[in-house]
Amino acid sequence: MLDFKKLELNPSEPVYLQIVSFVKRQIFIGTVEQGESLPSRREMAALLKINPNTVQKAFRLLEEEGIVVTPPNAVSIIHWDEEIYAAIQKELTAGLVVDFVAQAKANELTLDMVMALLKDEWEKGDER
Amino acid sequence: MVEVKGLRFSYLVGMDILKEVSFQAETGEIVGVLGANGVGKSTLLKLLAGILTPRDGSISIEGKPVQESYEKVAYISEAGSYFKDLTPKEFGTFLLDFFPDFDMVYYEKLLAYFQLEEKPIKNMSKGQKAKAEVAAGMAKRAKYIIMDEPFIGKDMFTRQDFMQALAGSLTGEETIFITTHEIDEIENFIDRGLILQDGKIAADVRMDDLRRQGKSLTGLMKEVTGYKDGNFTELLEK
Repeated sequence: MLDFKKLELNPSEPVYLQIVSFVKRQIFIGTVEQGESLPSRREMAALLKINPNTVQKAFRLLEEEGIVVTPPNAVSIIHWDEEIYAAIQKELTAGLVVDFVAQAKANELTLDMVMALLKDEWEKGDER
Repeated sequence: MVEVKGLRFSYLVGMDILKEVSFQAETGEIVGVLGANGVGKSTLLKLLAGILTPRDGSISIEGKPVQESYEKVAYISEAGSYFKDLTPKEFGTFLLDFFPDFDMVYYEKLLAYFQLEEKPIKNMSKGQKAKAEVAAGMAKRAKYIIMDEPFIGKDMFTRQDFMQALAGSLTGEETIFITTHEIDEIENFIDRGLILQDGKIAADVRMDDLRRQGKSLTGLMKEVTGYKDGNFTELLEK
């Protein structure tokens, strides 16, 4: 089930994009089902303490990407097909490292250095 | 839409606190009015609410002077209302006579949500007074909401309740101006930040743009006001 209580907003990304990413991540890790309904704009605004227009903006983007559909006279639901799932998968796996690799190259790091750094950071997270 | 043109204001002749302030705010926009103490944030909000009259320039709401739009504007401040002998419910009845759109059902819902007791507002704590003020302001169902330091005297949990009540009561058609020092509480709520400095708007940013550039609101405020992080070192040196 989509549980927006689990969405902790950060102060560094546009809020509507954080909502969109959250929904995509839930689809990717399998915690949301096809046809599940979305909370109302107002519920979301209250829960996340944000402007209902920001919620609207996120829903619109999700609609454009085909992830949210609103049948006539019904509430909006979550929907995806293979093509959408593949796009989400790509974004949350390979897409994740695109910027990172570009920055690492700009800093003239070698692949070995990056791998070592990655390993350190990864394991640091596990200790917590 | 709110349109502010060439606004100038001074409490004393020759001492302009606002020198030249111009901007427009779209319907549904939430604007944070920010800046250091004494820079004129509260003054600007009082002008927007029509409580003060500008020396020069104009403020219009939906094309009409702000003084003719009184019923569309709710001004919520820490200072509170002038009817402190009344209890919250009596205050509601009073407001109902004055504001045709006053939503009594919603008002009582908010009073219950904020757990406000039925006692004269003047005998309440600062935090409770602020809650009564907010409940009254929101229940006016005004399209233009002006909030001056709504978090004063509120602890962390109350601030959270307050923000949820506020965000959950909006329809998306309200235009809001809010000033606070609690940047953390509002930085995901506001769409836009206006930073005042030296009587002018020193920065006017959309939050989404700011974040896309990898910047933060506090960072921008430090940049604009010329605040230096290392100021304390001077104290330590001696």
